Amino acid sequence: MKKRNYYLIIGIIITVVILVFTIIGQFWTPYSVTATSSSLKSLAPSAQHLFGTDNLGRDIFSRVMNGCGTTFFVAVCTVAIGCAVGIVIGALTGFYGGMLDEVVMRINDIVLSFPSVLLALIFISFLGKGTYNVILALGVLFIPSFARIVRSEVIRYKSQEFVKSAQVMGASNLRIIFVHIIPNTKVSLLTSVAIGFNNAVLAEASMSYLGLGVQPPVPSLGRMLAEAQGYIVSAPWYAITTGIVIVLIILGFSLISEGLRVYQD
Amino acid sequence: MSVELLKITDLTVSFPNKDGSLHTVVDHLNLEVRKGQIVGIVGESGSGKSMTSLAVMGLLSEDAIVDPCSSIRFNGMELLSMSGDERRKVQGNTMSMIFQEPMTSLNPVIRIKDQVGEVLKLHTDLSDEEIYKKVEEALNNVGIHDVPELMDKYPHQLSGGQRQRVMIAMAIINDPDVLIADEPTTALDVTVQAQILKLLKKINEVTGCAILFISHDLNVIKEVCQRVIVMYKGVIVEQGRALTVLKSPQHEYTKRLVASMPDKAEPQISQEKILHAENLSVYYPVKKGLFSSGAKHSAYVHEVSFDIYNNEIFGIVGESGCGKSTLVKAIVGINKDITGTLEINDERPQMVFQDPYSSLNPAKKIGWIMEEPLKLKGVRDRAERKKLVNEMLNEIGLDESYADRGISELSGGQRQRISIGLSLMRGDKFIIADEPVSALDVTVQSQILKLLLKLHDERDLTYIFISHDLNVVRHMCNRIMVMYLGRVVELADVNELYTNARHPYTRFLFDSVIGEDAKKIPEGVKPAEVVETKGGCSFYPRCRYRCDKCREQMPDLIDIGSEDTSAGPGRPHMLRCFKDITKETPEVNRISELPEGKLRQ
Repeated sequence: MKKRNYYLIIGIIITVVILVFTIIGQFWTPYSVTATSSSLKSLAPSAQHLFGTDNLGRDIFSRVMNGCGTTFFVAVCTVAIGCAVGIVIGALTGFYGGMLDEVVMRINDIVLSFPSVLLALIFISFLGKGTYNVILALGVLFIPSFARIVRSEVIRYKSQEFVKSAQVMGASNLRIIFVHIIPNTKVSLLTSVAIGFNNAVLAEASMSYLGLGVQPPVPSLGRMLAEAQGYIVSAPWYAITTGIVIVLIILGFSLISEGLRVYQD
Repeated sequence: MSVELLKITDLTVSFPNKDGSLHTVVDHLNLEVRKGQIVGIVGESGSGKSMTSLAVMGLLSEDAIVDPCSSIRFNGMELLSMSGDERRKVQGNTMSMIFQEPMTSLNPVIRIKDQVGEVLKLHTDLSDEEIYKKVEEALNNVGIHDVPELMDKYPHQLSGGQRQRVMIAMAIINDPDVLIADEPTTALDVTVQAQILKLLKKINEVTGCAILFISHDLNVIKEVCQRVIVMYKGVIVEQGRALTVLKSPQHEYTKRLVASMPDKAEPQISQEKILHAENLSVYYPVKKGLFSSGAKHSAYVHEVSFDIYNNEIFGIVGESGCGKSTLVKAIVGINKDITGTLEINDERPQMVFQDPYSSLNPAKKIGWIMEEPLKLKGVRDRAERKKLVNEMLNEIGLDESYADRGISELSGGQRQRISIGLSLMRGDKFIIADEPVSALDVTVQSQILKLLLKLHDERDLTYIFISHDLNVVRHMCNRIMVMYLGRVVELADVNELYTNARHPYTRFLFDSVIGEDAKKIPEGVKPAEVVETKGGCSFYPRCRYRCDKCREQMPDLIDIGSEDTSAGPGRPHMLRCFKDITKETPEVNRISELPEGKLRQ
């Protein structure tokens, strides 16, 4: 009998809960996200302030609700760029092969052999700080991993008879690639989108942590973690609560991608 | 000890459904195999024949439920009550299994010698050297030619026939008492098939090892088995002596199985050519590396010339690797790397592919797949497309509800129906069917062949029908072209070819057909992959009638005139052979394949 896919179910529950809070957080938060108050400085978690307050007296829970939005926005855009361009490159190189394939895949290998945060730093130093530059830099760096997955899937499917069948019917190569073959890569793509999303959340957090991404006072999880570092002894809840939310986001997506893997075969 | 080696009583195997109810795949099965006997189990897929063999071997998947009343006794020992370890100890030494797929049942990363020797390593305390010696013997015994070389190879370096031989060597190396062969020849070429069957029979004769032979192919069963058991939906519907059961079947299902060969349409060939090929050669790029400039070419089809007339069913026959698929790719325009003339008087020939599991896009619904040719043809109106798809679904014996189904919900036969419908969607009249039934069950095969014939008559279609199954070709085709290593060796009307085959290779193919004329199977001729000739006739190395002239010169394809006049007087019969062999021509080249009495040392 088929086992329930608990990975997928739990992953989706975690992700949906966080997403609901995040979406609400874009329109309404219990307290103001930016207003500071000297009387409420560094309060420990309580019924009023679920996650406590930070060094400037801002409610951490409200800032996390709102800040997740920034993080998700960056991650979604990054994955979208990486995925879209990656599909095109992977599909074309996989289908046509030959010289183009060799060259593009070697460039891919080079990019993949460096840690992406390091490469992102180099990009940012050229492009300058800011949310959109981070998206652009991370997006470009995410292209190779998607291209590689799509390429291997396309190679796997291009020798199947349904492709020959489409050729015989008179479908053009582009139609065969994008209408006939790509839909078959759905499951592996979904898995890698989930993994990519994870990496993007982490990468955004790291970039903001280093002060290169989202600029204050807009909250973002990485930014908040960086600030929390200074108060790790006096207000440990700041780092802990923010950190837990990041971990939960990652866990949710990891479980989803793990759960999806079952459908890959 | 009794003579009953294996006795199965009341074996019931079921699987739980999603809703918790049970789905029984083997229902109170009783069967016994005596020492030295070959017992066949025949039935279509889903009849429970494979489940029975897996139950005997203890290889059922974990969710299978074996009824507690079931019993499988082997040499008097009850297997079902044993623990896993005990059972493995008993079975490892005395029972072996040969699987259907030689491709997937060998471990790709282990050398042949270690793979074959594994069972000895597990169940004996021989040294590596002794094991390798035994492996070498076993490989020799299964008729492998270059054993020392093959020992160090990996499975992917072997041909399908060689792999199946290795599997058999693996199964017999420990001198088992029972061999379970689950469709051991289904995935193989017809000539290799005959050799493997002969080998199994020989093993049975020499070592006295009993064989439980599972197959869906009645001809195969008839050829090797003494007793046959016919299974249908998990139940034995008929059993008895193989010849008796197959000659006078009692049960409805057996009758259907035996009679599942379609009738051929009357030939009404017009003189209007639909395809004209002259000196057509088809090339394939050999290697395209990063640093090699330009692709090297190698011709896979050498200067073939033939015409196909409107409304005929033209058969192409030959072993795998003979160039039939390459030729087809050139005809449908996938491979444009050709020289010579190729004229087609139809917009675009359509194709029905061999494997219904890979020829339909698994990510799409049937409706979408069948609308695709219409979209490509430029039918913009969605309702119009839907209407045409529904009409086609009805015509191919399915109904409109199939449009919303995914491919995975369909059986092989249903998929092949879709494939056929798909090839007709554009309204083309020229269809190429590449082994359209070889992946299907026998009973389904005949339904698909009937559908093809019905559509041929109703829609005035022309078929190129490719097959390695000479029985099917005979029933379907008007004319037949026999190919060997990229060349046409013989081309004639179907009756002429079946009554008056003149090329040694055509004869060889006919002799390899299992069934009526099984006794005529030639004494081991080397398989095709071993040999290659330069300059001379390409069939020279395998030819039983060869002479010195054949080694140095390639004969031309000439018209010797048809003897059979049932399709009209003065019909051509093309032949590529110096020696005009008749039935009395003596054979000069016998290669003995399997040394007698060497199997048990």
